[in-house]
Amino acid sequence: MDTGRKPGPKILTYVLLGFWAITTIYPFVWVLLNSFRKKGLIISDSFSLPLGEAFTWDNYLTAWERSDFKNAYLNSFLISGTVTVAVVILAGLAAYGLVRYRFPGRGLLYSLIMAGMMFPVFSTIIPVFRMEAVMGLAGTGNRWLSLLAVILPQIAGNLCFAIIILMGFIQSVPIELEESAYLDGCNVFQIYFHIIIPAAKSSFATVAIFAFLWSYNDLFTQSFFLRYPQERAITGLLNEISSQAGVNYGLMAASVVLVVIPVLIVYICLQKHIIKGLTAGAVKG
Amino acid sequence: MKKSLAMLLVLVLMLSLVSVAAFADKAVTLNVVTSYGGDDGNRKNFENAVKAYEESTGNKVNDGSATSNEEWKAKVLTDFETGSEPDVLFYFTNADAEPFISAGKVVSIEEIRAEYPDYAGNMKDSMMAVAADGKQYAVPSSGYWENMFVNKKVLEDCGVAVPGPDYTWEQFLADCETIKEAGYTPIACSLVEVPHYWFEFTVMNNGTVENHLDVPAATDDAAAAKWAAGLNDIKALYEAGYFPANTLTASDAETVELFNSGEAAFLIDGSWKVGYFTENAEDLNDFAIAYVPGKGERSASEAIGGISMGYFITTKAWNDPDKREAAVEFVSQLTSDEVLSTFVTTEVTALVNGAKPEGLNPLQQSAADANANITAIAGAVQDSLTAEARGDLFGNVQNVVTGKMSAEDAVASAIALN
Amino acid sequence: MSSMIYKKKSPLILFLVPAFLFLLVYLYYPFFQNIINTFMKIGGLGRAAEGLNEPWYENYQRLRTDPYMRTALKNTLLLTVCTVVFQVGIALILALLVDTIRVGAQFFRTVYFFPIVISATALGLMFNLIFLYKGGMVNQLLLSMGKLPTEVKASGKVLVQWLDWKDQSHFLFTMLMPVMWQYVGFYFVILITGLNNISPDLYEAAALDGADGWKRTRYITLPLLRNVLCTCLVLAITGALKVFDLPWVMFGAGMPENMSWLTGTYMYDQTFNKMNVDYGSTIAVLIVVLGVILSNVANRIFRPSEDL
Repeated sequence: MDTGRKPGPKILTYVLLGFWAITTIYPFVWVLLNSFRKKGLIISDSFSLPLGEAFTWDNYLTAWERSDFKNAYLNSFLISGTVTVAVVILAGLAAYGLVRYRFPGRGLLYSLIMAGMMFPVFSTIIPVFRMEAVMGLAGTGNRWLSLLAVILPQIAGNLCFAIIILMGFIQSVPIELEESAYLDGCNVFQIYFHIIIPAAKSSFATVAIFAFLWSYNDLFTQSFFLRYPQERAITGLLNEISSQAGVNYGLMAASVVLVVIPVLIVYICLQKHIIKGLTAGAVKG
Repeated sequence: MKKSLAMLLVLVLMLSLVSVAAFADKAVTLNVVTSYGGDDGNRKNFENAVKAYEESTGNKVNDGSATSNEEWKAKVLTDFETGSEPDVLFYFTNADAEPFISAGKVVSIEEIRAEYPDYAGNMKDSMMAVAADGKQYAVPSSGYWENMFVNKKVLEDCGVAVPGPDYTWEQFLADCETIKEAGYTPIACSLVEVPHYWFEFTVMNNGTVENHLDVPAATDDAAAAKWAAGLNDIKALYEAGYFPANTLTASDAETVELFNSGEAAFLIDGSWKVGYFTENAEDLNDFAIAYVPGKGERSASEAIGGISMGYFITTKAWNDPDKREAAVEFVSQLTSDEVLSTFVTTEVTALVNGAKPEGLNPLQQSAADANANITAIAGAVQDSLTAEARGDLFGNVQNVVTGKMSAEDAVASAIALN
Repeated sequence: MSSMIYKKKSPLILFLVPAFLFLLVYLYYPFFQNIINTFMKIGGLGRAAEGLNEPWYENYQRLRTDPYMRTALKNTLLLTVCTVVFQVGIALILALLVDTIRVGAQFFRTVYFFPIVISATALGLMFNLIFLYKGGMVNQLLLSMGKLPTEVKASGKVLVQWLDWKDQSHFLFTMLMPVMWQYVGFYFVILITGLNNISPDLYEAAALDGADGWKRTRYITLPLLRNVLCTCLVLAITGALKVFDLPWVMFGAGMPENMSWLTGTYMYDQTFNKMNVDYGSTIAVLIVVLGVILSNVANRIFRPSEDL
């Protein structure tokens, strides 16, 4: 992509990048190693390889006992998948409308969205819970209703962020493309689906990744709404590790690994789209 | 011919429908929430008992149990407020339960006994918790005690004797000094996270076991003076350097680990901690249960304990004819003598016939021995405070010991919120 | 800027209504209830309000005089500045660097994201172990380097004076560093996406004109990134005001001695631990107001020309 770069700065570049990469990889490796370590040794000796005596599958076995994995993963993916899809669709539409159209009240809506990003989840969760209980969604013990009870507020929670990000990226799509499509006879919806979305594909992928991630890792909302075993998500495992007796670090490490692996897979898959979007999104001429 | 055949078919169909219906309403799904979840020591026992119940009655139990902490308590209360409470609830029986008791959301034992006279028949009525309205609502499971855990090995290395039931505060201070000089930490306690236990005992040391449950109503009454004196005792210990160096930033897990790994000598904790050491101690014989030093009118053989939780049946379940029987049966089975004997090792119970625990390990045996010498117990006075007052009081302990706030002010601030 | 395509306003409704409906029901209405709560007396979580406070503005008065709130504001402001300078700053440098290389770009993109993928609670627990008083990784390192004073007692026992990373002189560093570190990857991904929206033609043209490296970054990349940078700034402000999981797990209840409160943790503590639901709601309102003001300021600085 660039020509005529001298080798010196390149080495420095790699050194800096490599250094940061080590700091981001190391904690995960550390957690992985400790998930195989006997519980008692974690506090006293957490930074060496758990070989021989120190190695154990116990933590994973305990985690297996504590929750029904198949179900928990299914619940997590149902929730996060639905939230992601809904957020991408709704936020895309709203962002497009806000960016391209000029209308009175536009500034107000924009400010409302900005404000909406600031709302801490703790302040809204109890009113939401009461509202959903009245609606018959929350606390019923019915698995599907409970999942829905989590999905809806999570969609709202992620919408503001998604709209802001997408607005920024849609803005930078050159309007010439849309104008030529319009002249060809496309209506606004066709422009949206055939021009905007492909052009901003990497931005949609970015928003999707974050929406999925935040929904997936949202321990607080999930633990508030999902109480019974058949509706619990996989992150509920993290909730189980602490008790009156303190933190069970071995179980924690195993739980983290189990919780993280699916997300990493999703990220690696979606990430390819960002790259595809890089080369496809470039506008020529 | 065809008509009679048709009639026969209809009859058979109706009969099968009736029998299916009869079977259908036999299997009830009960929503149950207890604190026997997560890492709780009795979780396995609870799950076994639930399985036994399901097998014997054909009902299904929807188990929403979780670890007991402030968040869990808040969720339970919120559920009652929004109408999504469970059918059977195992919860605290003190001021924490007043919100839903006073709202009439749970059924009193009296009312249950009107229809099921044998309900909680194996319990001593006098030991079941009484709510503010004078009625009893919860059937107790196993209780708790709070006492002094000691690391015998550390004491030995310092040349200090294991405390006996006549341990005095002066002896304790002298021992702490010896231990400190030898390079160990005398007291394992995180003042920022768990000042609770030391609070109870220092308050009792400045009062008596009989008036321990008095809650100050005004800033100048006897109870308030007791509390301030107790806080000042803790402050004296802090200033003498008997708490860990990082007691104001350490977590409870850290300080317990200090004790577990042989760096600290004394730890006040409760019966639930025995399970922790059973799992995590390298050698159980290094530990023992002793006595918290006494001062003034309290002797070291007087401790904190009682029964603070119990099984409630909610009005929601009671009013549902299918669930009523299932719920009563559930509680009865889970508080039966046999089941409770698996939950209990050394704790207090309300059982008329007492529990019959089997196979005590050395630490449990030590606890049982100590219990045998306990002359009187009082409940924890902090349980009579509202959550707000409690949070405020314990949040201020760090301010009192560092001198930022006087003990009297801390007490006053807390009772203003009660 | 406005094109004739968009003169007809009727399709607009379809674009906006679905999203705003969600927001109305699940975000604005509950928050509106929250605002009302700030004037009411609420005994405990989930309980209905028990009438107005006396005086009705009692919570706001308390907000003004509460010393812990002042600490929280101070700390949060510091956090915001650090977030902007370090999180966004480091992310920008990394994004620019990764943009220049081809080999390994994907690897770095994947790996920088790891800290965000691991839930903040787990990270907090992990950092607790790293900074543990007795035997944590950092302290052990210090000990092996001989930086910690030791004392030999009469009994022959060796006492090490560990460094308390959570005490008054160190807590700021210990609290800020993990939070900083975690979210660099977040801004990194956003900036990379923004960088990729810049057409390579511009770079080619610049290279032909002799501008390379730093010049090209300064005159092409950064100006075109302005929009995205502004978004990042706004997100940084929001994040700092609301951050909770990591600081709470490491520094629950404002330790040491109520010095480390942040607006997010203080709000949680008041609402869920101290059961001061109406006061907690007031703090939430303050967070939102502050956030709106600060992000408007940021927008004003970075996008003075545009009407958004």
